[in-house]
Amino acid sequence: MIRLFNWFRRGSLERGLNREIQYHFDRRVADLTAAGIPEPEARRRAAVELSLTQVREEVRDVWLGRWLRDFLYDLRFSVRSLLRSPSFTATTLLSLALGIGAITAIYSLVDQVILHALPVREPGRLVLVDWNGDDLITGGIGSFNLMPYPICRELQQQTRFFEGVLCRAEIEVNLTAGGDPRPVAAEIVSGSYFPVLGVGPALGRVIEPEDDAAPGAGPVVVLSYDFWQAQFGGAADIAGRKVLIGNHPMTVVGVAAAGFRGVDVGAVPAFWIPTSMYADANLDTDEDLLNNPTRWLQILARLRPGVSAAQAQAGLLPWFRPWLEDSARRPWFPVITVEKRRLYLASSLILTPAPQGHSPLRRSLSQPLWLLFAATGVLLGGLACLNVAGLFLARGSARARELATRLALGASRSRIGRQLLADSLLLALTGGVLGIALAPPAMRALIAFLPHDLAANALRPSISLDLLGFALLASFAAGLLSGIAPALHAGRDNVVNSLRERGGTGFGGVRLRKAIVTLQVAFSLILLIGAALFLRTLTGLLAKGPGFDTSSLLSFAIAPLENGYSRADASRLVRRLDEQVRALPAVRSSAAARFAFLTGGAWSNNATIQTDRRIVSDRSVNFNAVSPGFFATLGVRLLAGRDFDQSDSRPAGEIGPRCAIVNQAFVKRYLAGRDPLGVRIARGGHTDVKPDSPIVGVVADMSYRGLRDDSEQVFFPLFESDDTGATFYIKVRGAPEQAIPSIRRLVRQDDPRLPILWFRTLDDQVNRSLNTERMLAALSGSFGALALLLSLVGLYGVMSFVVTRRTREIGIRLALGATRASALRLVLRDAAAMIAAGVALALPCVAALDKLVQSQLFGVTATDPATVAAAALVLAAGALVAAFIPAWRASNVSPTDALRLE
Amino acid sequence: MPSPRFPIPQGTLDMLILQILSLEPAHGYGIAQRLEQISRSVVQVNQGSLYPALHRLQQKGWLRAEWKKSEIGRDAKFYCLTPAGRKQLAVEKDSWARLSGAVNLIFEEGSR
Repeated sequence: MIRLFNWFRRGSLERGLNREIQYHFDRRVADLTAAGIPEPEARRRAAVELSLTQVREEVRDVWLGRWLRDFLYDLRFSVRSLLRSPSFTATTLLSLALGIGAITAIYSLVDQVILHALPVREPGRLVLVDWNGDDLITGGIGSFNLMPYPICRELQQQTRFFEGVLCRAEIEVNLTAGGDPRPVAAEIVSGSYFPVLGVGPALGRVIEPEDDAAPGAGPVVVLSYDFWQAQFGGAADIAGRKVLIGNHPMTVVGVAAAGFRGVDVGAVPAFWIPTSMYADANLDTDEDLLNNPTRWLQILARLRPGVSAAQAQAGLLPWFRPWLEDSARRPWFPVITVEKRRLYLASSLILTPAPQGHSPLRRSLSQPLWLLFAATGVLLGGLACLNVAGLFLARGSARARELATRLALGASRSRIGRQLLADSLLLALTGGVLGIALAPPAMRALIAFLPHDLAANALRPSISLDLLGFALLASFAAGLLSGIAPALHAGRDNVVNSLRERGGTGFGGVRLRKAIVTLQVAFSLILLIGAALFLRTLTGLLAKGPGFDTSSLLSFAIAPLENGYSRADASRLVRRLDEQVRALPAVRSSAAARFAFLTGGAWSNNATIQTDRRIVSDRSVNFNAVSPGFFATLGVRLLAGRDFDQSDSRPAGEIGPRCAIVNQAFVKRYLAGRDPLGVRIARGGHTDVKPDSPIVGVVADMSYRGLRDDSEQVFFPLFESDDTGATFYIKVRGAPEQAIPSIRRLVRQDDPRLPILWFRTLDDQVNRSLNTERMLAALSGSFGALALLLSLVGLYGVMSFVVTRRTREIGIRLALGATRASALRLVLRDAAAMIAAGVALALPCVAALDKLVQSQLFGVTATDPATVAAAALVLAAGALVAAFIPAWRASNVSPTDALRLE
Repeated sequence: MPSPRFPIPQGTLDMLILQILSLEPAHGYGIAQRLEQISRSVVQVNQGSLYPALHRLQQKGWLRAEWKKSEIGRDAKFYCLTPAGRKQLAVEKDSWARLSGAVNLIFEEGSR
């Protein structure tokens, strides 16, 4: 350490040493002349005694240490020599920065989604408790690993194995905190949640066991640190504020520790509320969730120190068996068959280590992320390293004479190898730093492309210390990997041979590198073709459109049931709002639908059709319920029959819709060749379904789930007694954005506590529905561009190498009368062979991948000749340009210079 | 014509420097003169090796250096022993005494 410090103050050290030695020298000379020796002789004697140069060198060794000194000089030399060849340095740095930036970005996502342990006390002791066995009793609310609440309570008594047990569920609630109400993601948790995790408050207090003691006991809210900062500006007086959760007033009692974002990477809660308040949190249930077997929570437990998950799992069995027996005798236990009962009683609990908490996001993303990580690591990182190694070899061959001269002058092989290693490490670390600078934008891009809306909230494009370490490690590895071959190469060459060597010989490694470049070309061509295909799919879908005119079309949605409305009240509210919206001056027409279009989801079921015989649809039919005027508002053509009118709405008490409208696809598939009007249909394929709704109209096809959707659709009339339809479609005059405030005002006037779930133009909705397509196009595009760039750099490197090696040969050819054009051709022919081989390799691969990607494509096949040709053309053009630079250099070789190189 | 002298044994130069500086602080030339007196009678010290040794000892923290006016009125770099250096000198003296004692013992045994 001192030595490294000495390097930076070596100037002042040198000055001090000079003064010190000068003093010695002067005194010695003075003493010698005093002793009668003439001054010139005295000076000579003093200088010999001190052997000045050697003293300085030895003292410098003391300051820095031999090794460090050599290394630092190596580095300085490297910097100078790299600055002397800027094009080499730039291409190498570009390769490395791209490779390392890409790997780092993906690693950060892998880290955040898969590897990162929760920021809680000793996350290693957390286990997820899951039910293993027949899941008969009831369906659950939500997603994975769900457990009933009572078992959580009872597990807390198992103190032999557990220090504590918590349960939690993610919920969406409507929050009103001074402003418009809006839906917010939250976590409903047991009172043990914070104590078991060991997470404390940043302000106020967290939820405590008392808050969760009995239903309704704790109307308290604990905010997440991020939400407190973002929504409340980090207000210091937040504790004690009242907010509305749904319709229920609750009190903010504190803010959780910064950095804690719940136990699920995929669902970041804005705040936490105790399970005792589940009835107020609008879980859309009238059941007594705290005392029945509905599975709606995940259970995490903290193992006692020294207890393993397997031990606890085995140890719980003696308790769990009687618990099952007992639960089967409870009044809420459903009536089931003997067989089912036996399966139920054979259930057990499984404990899996969960240091990263519980995460369906991890489950769904971990495989693609690892794949992506492996792909970038191997492909981009590997290609970047190979490129750099190639460039180094090329440069090494150009420097062969310099190195041979140094060897001949007595430099040791290890010394020269070390010099080359210093070069590559220096480049790698600089490339790494550039890569780290590239990483955050790359991460932002990646996160934007991840399929889940959730991912955008849960993942952050930030550089952590871990990540810095990873990037530096990666660049260090890249430096070693790419530097080691040239370093070994330099050590192996025989001095005499390399001094004698003129070129033409020693093509070692060229064939391998040509093969690598060929593969690179093939690989980037595949990616380019992929990118082109996905781009064409995207433009094709956009051109096709949803089957209706999206201009000046707005939509917004509400969820009155979640705010405590009864079904009848909700239905009245929707009808009222629909009428009021239509009366606004800016609105041309308006309609409502039960389910939103173009969101990926649909209300699907089989359909039963009664003609002269009874038919059940052979695949799912998509249903919706719409208000009169819906098709006219969207501009969907009515092909036959009539639209719904007010008289179609079913009065209270009547069962089943009065009539239906089907789309063209439905007619084509099930009613081909007959008059669809009057045919009776019903929803469902069961034998007891009575088809009694007559078809009164046929409409043109429109997209329901997404733009690709060409499904059979059936529409029923909205505004029936129990209908809760809540997505409004509004055709406005002028710019859609201008109408939004007046519509918002309308909803607020009716119920200030009712949040508007979203408010979008349909153009925006269409764009959103294409997220996956856009992601595929962008990912394959950016990967393709990166790979193309890297393979072009690789090609350039190889060609430069070849040209350097053949300089003499080319010189002789030129001297013997070859034209410059022929020299150019000579080199380009080489490159063209590699490009052609790469293309030839890629095409069968594309054909093989056809089946795999066909389902993702629209309006184009994977082997579409125009697309393939265009991609190949782009690649070939780029590759020829990359090869042209060294070829040009070759053709400009001056014969005399080339021969003088001897 | 210099009389035949021993080359200084490896490693003893450091000990000699510490010993000289334990009496009083001195600059490089002063130490050299002092070594010269010793070497004239017994051992041979290469003046050039003095400075690397001084810098090494300073880096180890056994010596401290400061610029002061010397006896001829010019600035010179004076070295003095640090407490750590004083301890080191004691250690080296001790191990030297044990080594030479052991060697003497062997010689005496051989001559008996």
